Amino acid sequence: MMNHDQPSAKDRCGKIWSGMQLLKDTTESKHFLPTGLEGIDTLLGGGLRQGQLTEVTGPSSSGKTQVCLHSASLVAAKHMGVVMYLDTSNSFSPSRVATIIDGSSDVFGQRGFDLQPKDMRLKSVMRSIICESVFDIFALFEVLHQLEGSLLNDKVNNGGSKICLLIIDSISSLLAPIIGGKYPQGRSMMISVAMILKKLADEHNLSVLVTNHTVSAGNGAVKPALGESWRAVPHVRLVLSRECGSNICTATVLKHTLKVFPL
Amino acid sequence: MAAEAGGDPRAWLAVDETASAFISRSLSSRPPITLPPPLHRAPLRPGNVVEIAGPSNSGKSHLLLMAAVQCILPKEWEGIYFGGLGKSVMYLDLDCRFDVLRLAQILRNRIAEGQGSTHLRNGDLEKDDTEDEFQSSFENALFSDCMQRFFYVRCYNSSEFTAALKTVQSRSRSEVLGVGIYFVMIDSIGAFYWIDRASHPTRDHKGKSLQSVTETVVHEIRMFLQLQPALVLVTKAPIYAEGSTTTNDFNRDSSKYLLEDSTVSRCSRQEEGRTLSYRDYMPSIWQSFVTHRINLQVEEAEVPSVQENEVLSTYTSEWVQPSLKTKEKFFIVDVRSCYSYFV
Repeated sequence: MMNHDQPSAKDRCGKIWSGMQLLKDTTESKHFLPTGLEGIDTLLGGGLRQGQLTEVTGPSSSGKTQVCLHSASLVAAKHMGVVMYLDTSNSFSPSRVATIIDGSSDVFGQRGFDLQPKDMRLKSVMRSIICESVFDIFALFEVLHQLEGSLLNDKVNNGGSKICLLIIDSISSLLAPIIGGKYPQGRSMMISVAMILKKLADEHNLSVLVTNHTVSAGNGAVKPALGESWRAVPHVRLVLSRECGSNICTATVLKHTLKVFPL
Repeated sequence: MAAEAGGDPRAWLAVDETASAFISRSLSSRPPITLPPPLHRAPLRPGNVVEIAGPSNSGKSHLLLMAAVQCILPKEWEGIYFGGLGKSVMYLDLDCRFDVLRLAQILRNRIAEGQGSTHLRNGDLEKDDTEDEFQSSFENALFSDCMQRFFYVRCYNSSEFTAALKTVQSRSRSEVLGVGIYFVMIDSIGAFYWIDRASHPTRDHKGKSLQSVTETVVHEIRMFLQLQPALVLVTKAPIYAEGSTTTNDFNRDSSKYLLEDSTVSRCSRQEEGRTLSYRDYMPSIWQSFVTHRINLQVEEAEVPSVQENEVLSTYTSEWVQPSLKTKEKFFIVDVRSCYSYFV
């Protein structure tokens, strides 16, 4: 039978795995990164799973960026690893991160964390969040290839902490302009991005979190943007909605690898 | 022929076999395979290539996992009947969305069901702790045995896919895989469609076109099937026309032109999904290679289940090759099993 030693990131691609090897790898290496938002973590079965691509979709002001910032803050504050935050629309806000940390010291629960002065706390968290502005698809490819290269060469950040969460807020603002027919290779680029993200997630045990906007589906209903070709990409799809004039967000799981959902 | 057989034109037939002998030999060497609903309607045998087509969330990958569990489960284990095939599966993941925990969940449920039916037959409703421990070790041993027969390869592009097929072919009879592969699963065949379609090979750039990639894939699978008869199960999601599902799409009129590879068709929005789902975008070499086709659709309506507060996802399946002229509805009850009935 097959050797049960797990292949490294460099040689796991294209290798034949047995079911037991896969299961061992998943249970040992693919953990959940909590978002810190209890309802969403419950819906997702524990949070953002490493090795998977989770999509949060919803209309404007439905709380997509809030989920991203909350996840980034929690992972950074709990010293789980480094967060790479790819900001496509200047939505990353250190002041919002500060507000999240101030209001959630009980959630973060780091021993001695809430005893630190506010500015020290914020610095500690911000040191573990690498924010990059990415405004077009070509810049995204460049950043992802650089990230892949540094992960393959085992380059680490912040005293040994590896990147464990990659956030792209939002993926649709980069992909929507190229798939409308203006670029004949738009869909090819979209699927290439998808494959790179999945490869990074699986081979380097990253959780990948992307946001997507919604478009009209007729009859007053909305649906996630980017069409059918993208629909098959994420492992998990979460839809956020917010009633007018309300602070209450509703989250619905559209797709999950471990559950079968009615439409 | 006749001359060699001493003038009797029928004498040369004696060295061959009768039709009934041929049929019985074929049935014994390539017996029909029992698969879970809705794949159970068509008589499938090793050597067949089955295409499971349908939109996202129509249960394609779930059917593959159900079939995989059916294959890796033994027919019988320590006196308990499980009704599996006890053979190996090779799963080629092109979508990169396979979740081993889901496979494990389905397998554990099938094992529990098999044991449950035994307990009911024997009337053993009361169990002590010793029995629980035994059952747990029994389940783990069987689970591990089954999972050792499941093999998985992940591919991120067409060249990795063709390389994986070559690897599977060269190692299919080696000791590394132990038991010969009986099911080959590809999820999903159109994963690299847009990438391959966009690549135009030139003298300088060593790219591969969609046509040449497909030819290589078909060739490699054929070679493998010659080496070792196996059932090939392939999922295929619909490919929508360039620009037909973009963000601007949904503000247009209810009817529009859809362009896909120089094919122009006019259809209403209601018909659009169905038309696109069934339009075959794979090159003709692939289309002629496939021996069986089943189309899956998701039903809008939800059906309340027997259990409280549980709603079942309802799907329809339709065999289009061979055409069975009937549609069948089936439910996926969480990750346990499928139940089906004719519409």
